[in-house]
Amino acid sequence: MTHPGLPEFWGMIVLGVMLVLSLLLVLNIKLPEIKTNKVKTSKVKNNYRIFILLVSAFKQNRWILMILKLITVTMFLLVIYAGLMGTPIPERNVATVMIWNIWWAGLIISIFFLGSAWCAICPWDTLASWHVKPKLWLLKLNNSLELTPPKWMRSVWPALIMFIGLTWLELGYGITTSPYATALLSLVMVLMAVSFMALYKNKAFCHYVCPVGRTIGFYSQLAPVEIRPLNQNTCDECKTLECFNGTDRVDACPTQLVMGRLTQNTYCTSCGNCVQSCPDNNVSWRLRAPSQEAIESARPHWDEAWFMLVLLTLTSFHGITMMEFWEEGLRGFAQVIGDSGQLLVSFTMGLILSMLIPVSLYALVVELTRRLSKQKVEFKKLFTSLVFVSLPLAFSYHLAHNLNHMIRESVGASQVFLNPLGTSVTYSGVADELLIKNSMLLSENTIFALQALLMIFGFWIAIKVLKRRSALLLSQTGLNVLPVLLFMLAVNGFHLWMLMQPMVMRIGALCVVPTAL
Amino acid sequence: MIENLMAYLINKKLKIILISWLLVFSTSAAAHHVLGRPAYSLNEDSNTPPSMQVETQIGDYFVTYMVYPAFPKPGERGRVNVYASRIDNGDSYNGEMSFSVKDDVMFGDENPEFLGKQNIDDGVYRQGFVFKKNGKYVITARFESGGEPYIIDFPLQVGESGTMMPVLIALAIIIFLLMTVNVLQRRRLMREKIISERAEESSEE
Repeated sequence: MTHPGLPEFWGMIVLGVMLVLSLLLVLNIKLPEIKTNKVKTSKVKNNYRIFILLVSAFKQNRWILMILKLITVTMFLLVIYAGLMGTPIPERNVATVMIWNIWWAGLIISIFFLGSAWCAICPWDTLASWHVKPKLWLLKLNNSLELTPPKWMRSVWPALIMFIGLTWLELGYGITTSPYATALLSLVMVLMAVSFMALYKNKAFCHYVCPVGRTIGFYSQLAPVEIRPLNQNTCDECKTLECFNGTDRVDACPTQLVMGRLTQNTYCTSCGNCVQSCPDNNVSWRLRAPSQEAIESARPHWDEAWFMLVLLTLTSFHGITMMEFWEEGLRGFAQVIGDSGQLLVSFTMGLILSMLIPVSLYALVVELTRRLSKQKVEFKKLFTSLVFVSLPLAFSYHLAHNLNHMIRESVGASQVFLNPLGTSVTYSGVADELLIKNSMLLSENTIFALQALLMIFGFWIAIKVLKRRSALLLSQTGLNVLPVLLFMLAVNGFHLWMLMQPMVMRIGALCVVPTAL
Repeated sequence: MIENLMAYLINKKLKIILISWLLVFSTSAAAHHVLGRPAYSLNEDSNTPPSMQVETQIGDYFVTYMVYPAFPKPGERGRVNVYASRIDNGDSYNGEMSFSVKDDVMFGDENPEFLGKQNIDDGVYRQGFVFKKNGKYVITARFESGGEPYIIDFPLQVGESGTMMPVLIALAIIIFLLMTVNVLQRRRLMREKIISERAEESSEE
């Protein structure tokens, strides 16, 4: 079964806006400004009273976080139980529905509003902490060897490899269609989280290995919330660094961040330890202009640049594999190389090719920009600085794509929760398709409008990133950055085209029709 | 001596590469486990209870393989339908096809059981089955063409066959890991204590 693509009308609007924004950049005409994040606290308090109330509630009541953790852990254990013991029909089993239809799709949408909030209630980390460093009232146990992770691990390369592996399992092996395999993957992730916590100090798994955490981290550069000092001077004068070292009552920052020097959300897990431990109450969640980090404050690093680039390629690849042409192409390719069965060799080669093409194209574009530039800038420096344009392009397409999955495929999810193991139910074909169309949370036209807006938003941010970063690095914009602009147009244009195609459903409909077998 | 060692290593490396290459590229004429997204789906177009369907290619043939119903219960009659056509000209295979079944186990004896030998009937090979017990099975279809054997495996779950074994294994690993870490921690603490005591003694002297 397929979902209808974005209508031509919306496609043309997005394309038109993309071209206008590109023209504005080339002609060096001033684009609409995004407010900086240096907003006065008092102003924030007046404007975002509900947000401030929520933040205060979280700061004063740690049990709220504990309750949220308990809920996610309970749901996670239910996923494992249902996956192992429930029906193998994916759209009837809560394991596949919850992980692939609701969580995986909804997680990306949550970043748009809450940044890395998920990491604070992540069940993998919570279960690992309960096993390795349990806290029972005043008693704190530590079953960790507290080793320093080896140097090769202290980067996002392990997370990048994990992310590629997860994509292979998801789209190649077809783990999304198997509740049993989904449960096994969940168990493996917990085992990894526990092992890393038992061996290494802090939270090495979250920091370096977790593909979900790092994806959230990079996308959080575009989020409208952040944890930052309220007064920078207080942090500058601080000698004790409770945020980094922790206190008797509150743990140290799990990813070793120093609040006074924090410029990007990439490694923040929103645990709130720094908010609790600061003796001057100088750290808090606050609202900010989205994408400020990607535009200006995030610092470029070689490994992070690769992660962002691969994030873009794999996001596109997700879309490609849900196109009807992908299956035909895969079969044709398999025939040429003599692959058969599940076509895993063909899929793997397709995956590698889908990563190589955009990466090579980007490298070529960077080299061209370097040659066009009057300033002598190293290739590596330009590569790592301009790669931030890929973040909004990936994020906006990811959001638009997942919005489709989430709204259309979560119809009837409540019924799956009423019968999580999916016993005595079966597929009902045509009836499901009709129910889906009539029971969506948002109307089809609203979904289309939101998708179009997201695509425009992503491209607009990417233009702002390019303008600012190229001005900082090359002291010039306009025609000199034309290669990167063309790359952005090609990527966003391709994403838009994919959104306009019918998309194959992830695991089918969820409307449950009991049958007497 | 070193030259001999190098030659041995190169020879061994070549063997490994050759074996790996054979493993990867010889699959077109060997057994195939067909499970997962690109090839396997519930048939949506039928008004009858659902069937599990596989469309795959093996060697010179494009094979469509259907199990009806998708998830049979013990004692319930089921049927396998297989249709094989040549990739190059679309001609149907029309020789004999045999079917067998075995337990889907990762290790140990698979106990294959012969189901039957079928001739083509209206372009399709049909094989009926009834399973007495819940479990995970693999149905195998075999035929020969151009002097080469074609073997297609198809996983089939009968009834509820859940197991909590993976959870028990995960728990055992976690307990083992935490116990090992605990022992290592104690040894480290003990070592540090001895070192500090010795340091104190030497400073007193």
